[in-house]
Amino acid sequence: MSDPLLRVEDLRVSYGRVEAVRRVSFQADRGSLVTLVGANGAGKSSVINAVSGMLRPAGGRITFEGRDVTRTPAHQLVGRGLVQVPEGRQILATLTIEENLQMGAWHTGGTAQRSIDAVYDRFPVLAQRRALPAGSLSGGEQQMLAIARALVAAPTVMLMDEPSMGLAPKIVDEVFRVIEEIRASGTTVVLVEQNARRALRAADHGYVLQSGEIVHSGPADQLLADERIVQAYLGVETRPDQR
Amino acid sequence: MQQLLNGIFIGSIYALFAIGFTLVFGILDRLNLAHPAVFAASAFVGIELVERGGLSLWAALPIVFVFGAVLGLLIERLAFRPLKGRADAHFAGLISSIALAGMLIALLQWRYGPDTRRFPAGSFPDTRFEVAGAQVTLVQVVILAVSLALMVGLTYMVTRTRLGRGMRAVAENPTAARVLGVNVDRITAVTFAISSALGAVAGVLFAINVNTAQLGMGSAIELKGLAVIIVGGMGSLPGALIGGLVLGLAEVFAVQYIGSSWRDVIAFGLLFLILLVRPQGLLGARRVREV
Repeated sequence: MSDPLLRVEDLRVSYGRVEAVRRVSFQADRGSLVTLVGANGAGKSSVINAVSGMLRPAGGRITFEGRDVTRTPAHQLVGRGLVQVPEGRQILATLTIEENLQMGAWHTGGTAQRSIDAVYDRFPVLAQRRALPAGSLSGGEQQMLAIARALVAAPTVMLMDEPSMGLAPKIVDEVFRVIEEIRASGTTVVLVEQNARRALRAADHGYVLQSGEIVHSGPADQLLADERIVQAYLGVETRPDQR
Repeated sequence: MQQLLNGIFIGSIYALFAIGFTLVFGILDRLNLAHPAVFAASAFVGIELVERGGLSLWAALPIVFVFGAVLGLLIERLAFRPLKGRADAHFAGLISSIALAGMLIALLQWRYGPDTRRFPAGSFPDTRFEVAGAQVTLVQVVILAVSLALMVGLTYMVTRTRLGRGMRAVAENPTAARVLGVNVDRITAVTFAISSALGAVAGVLFAINVNTAQLGMGSAIELKGLAVIIVGGMGSLPGALIGGLVLGLAEVFAVQYIGSSWRDVIAFGLLFLILLVRPQGLLGARRVREV
């Protein structure tokens, strides 16, 4: 068995004296979909921001494609294929949709027109409105733009932070369909979600985070089948997807 | 007609100066108060290049442009970057850039002394044109052409090029820009360099226009530059252009028809009037920032 594509060991993240992430370890094999689930404030976003280089870890080690990237800044990691779809979408509302996509190719030094055309094929809504400011899109469309923009960067690993947050159930279905397509195309996905059931259903492997620590991990279907875990961490099923 | 043209010439220099100011403010949300010192320093350097270097006025311009860019990089590195993590970075940068401006002016005084400096005799071509009954010198035409070309070039750069796209991304949301792989520190440095290069060229053009460079010329234009960008709409490039022209014309006509001591009263009074009608400035939009 080869080394995992992405390996995180004993990761620690602190904000001042507050430790938000304590010795978190997980890994993602090439082509897999791994999810970190947990309640609000469990440290999920801190983990993903440390991996993407947006935050400087207080300790631990992050290895990507066999190389230590623990202290590599975000702007270098994007070029190496570690691309983040940030929490809250972070689209550039005053730039046009096309310019947002061009920003996805920033690290190439060009505009990557071919990759942009490819994402237009996949998201026709964006193609139709390419010249409009991205702020004119609806919430769901903005999430699609954020994903499309990350795809333009040609990621090896896509780090997704709460992609379903604040979206209507129907749109959430669409987002998860896109995530599964991305994974099916060979891109490794690390997904952070509050919508734990949904994420675990899509994932190969899951990690449950609580107060900055991993309290359970295992194949996603086993986590879902474990009544104790479901009761304790995943909350009452609201079944937004059963209509 | 003559006054109209004079107003446009001086106004285009104000606009060029103010555009450098507003570029840093619009993209980085910082007010760089060392900008007027760049304006003054470049005028002295321009004169020295012509006097000692034996260069023509026009050959000195690109050198001053580069000189300004380097100064801009220094200002960013010394007065802004060390403070960027602070909660009060806006205010701290304001103060540290004033301090740096003070040092620059002191260095100028040490190098050139306190006296007014002029270009050596014979630096200016005598060519004159007659435009609709008004006298225009070749020098004035070139001042206008250079200012306009730089402003058009800057606008093109910001709206159409990859670098400009990166600048606008940083302006709207530095965090999002970082996620996308933008080296925000580098964009910041480049923005300062471009801004100061424009301020430097404005300084030389101003010195050419009045054939004078004085230590106080930076502080004299500082308030005008700030007024222009507030009236034009903070961060708006075309707003700074229009604001600069309005101020230049107002000054010239005030001197012509009312008297030179009324110049600032009329010019700044007009600016206040504009702000009463449009508090956000001529082309200022209420900023939309994602929360």
